[in-house]
Amino acid sequence: MRLTRSRRHPLGFLRGIGEDAASFAGDAAAGFRRNGLMTVAAVTTVMVALLVVGAAVLLGLNLTRIAAAVEAQVEVVAFLQEGLGADGGTRLSTALAGLPGVASVRYVTRDEALRRLRDHLGEGSAFQDLVTTNPLPDSIELQLTDPSVAPAVAQAVTRQPGVSEVTYGGQVVDRVVALSRSVRLVAGLLTAFLAGVALIVVVNTIRLTVIARRQEIEIMQLVGATRWFIRWPFLIEGVLQGGAAAAAAIAVLIVIYAVGISRLGATLPFLPLVGLREALEPVAGAVLLGGAGVGVLGSMIAIRRFLAT
Amino acid sequence: MVQLQDVTKAYANGVVALRGVSLRVEPGEFVFIVGPTGTGKSTLLKLLYRAEVPTRGRVLVGDRDVTRLPAGAVAGLRRSLGVVFQDFKLLPGRTVFENVAFALRVIGTPREAIRPRVQRALDLVGLADRARHLPAHLSGGEQQRVSIARAIVNNPPLLLADEPTGNLDPNSSWEIMQVLSRVNLRGTTVIMTTHNKTVVDILRRRVIQLADGEIVRDQVRGLYALDA
Repeated sequence: MRLTRSRRHPLGFLRGIGEDAASFAGDAAAGFRRNGLMTVAAVTTVMVALLVVGAAVLLGLNLTRIAAAVEAQVEVVAFLQEGLGADGGTRLSTALAGLPGVASVRYVTRDEALRRLRDHLGEGSAFQDLVTTNPLPDSIELQLTDPSVAPAVAQAVTRQPGVSEVTYGGQVVDRVVALSRSVRLVAGLLTAFLAGVALIVVVNTIRLTVIARRQEIEIMQLVGATRWFIRWPFLIEGVLQGGAAAAAAIAVLIVIYAVGISRLGATLPFLPLVGLREALEPVAGAVLLGGAGVGVLGSMIAIRRFLAT
Repeated sequence: MVQLQDVTKAYANGVVALRGVSLRVEPGEFVFIVGPTGTGKSTLLKLLYRAEVPTRGRVLVGDRDVTRLPAGAVAGLRRSLGVVFQDFKLLPGRTVFENVAFALRVIGTPREAIRPRVQRALDLVGLADRARHLPAHLSGGEQQRVSIARAIVNNPPLLLADEPTGNLDPNSSWEIMQVLSRVNLRGTTVIMTTHNKTVVDILRRRVIQLADGEIVRDQVRGLYALDA
């Protein structure tokens, strides 16, 4: 028996796409005209979800940066027992400098410590009492070769005679790391929720186009168009919606972040913030990927039922 | 060309449309499937173009086991047969030419091959001069001829027609039957469901009569009803 032409290239559908690119674009434009308001709603919803994604990425980048900065500054401080005297302090300094993992030591007298405190707090009437009865102990600050040895060095320092108490910055690092972890968790949950909402809106918008072209789809299926051939225009529409939302979200994030870091940088100059240019790539990447993903997934779901044979 | 082996089709709502139907249609045959509404005529055609899957039994079209066809292979099956419906299913916003060309375009036919083939199909159904008209400007019979042109433009070896004259007056029905006969003479197997007693009785082709989802008569050069 005579069957259909066997001239079927595996990538034959690509040629069809090339030839029909113009008509696909036309279909997408027609879809936008037909469902203008719905499309605006979909793009806006996806954009809001992507704003959260982008904000989470920005926050995460900065918290990581702050944690790294704090970690790099980790030092161990040994507070000395009273009455050790300047000689005892110097001798202890030499001993501590010899410990493994210690890069350098600095001896801080109680007078210098008080001066620092006064610089930090500012001159006040209550301060006069402190000057006469300085309660601060002498201390030795140890710079480390590697932040990860802080707990071990602190242990070793505690055992030295003349040392009354030891602190190190590890707690701060732990707290920053924990903070960035919970930021990631909250942002993840929020993103999942908003992505779900965005997906529903996208599915409904594209379903309107699918329904408007139901007759064509039915005939395409009847005469043997492949499922991918039928899907393409809707996938393009979905990606266009997601892409538009991503572009809008990126623009909004750039403006907010630029203003944000210039304000924060002015009030908290010591905060090590990630620059706009540096942040742009990971943020734009995540947002674009998210937008395109929601678009593709939304159109696949919207067309799924109509492609079932 | 077509084979049904002990095919039963029960729909999800419990209606049993076909019960243990077996039949065989040879290449080049012209077959009428007759019977009152609701006896499974349309279901039988749907099984052939894989709009439905049988509950039990096997359906063969050409060398394909349609029952075991993966979803991705349905497009291939559809390219090897044409389907015509009672309600034409033409795209109202496109001209006659575009409606027929659409069937070739969406299966990736090269642009330069489309025009001559559409022309040939329109010639065969006698509508070459209506190519630029919109479906709404044609009579029912002419619209059905467009849908036949679309069904055969890909030169399928099998043409399925589900009540093609159901919406047409007697004159238009004859036009359609002439076109279908011409298509059959070119070697295409034609399977047509119908209520149209006159058409069946005059053409005297093979008649398969269904009642309650079972074949009650399969007769060469048959009439619409035994007692007619």
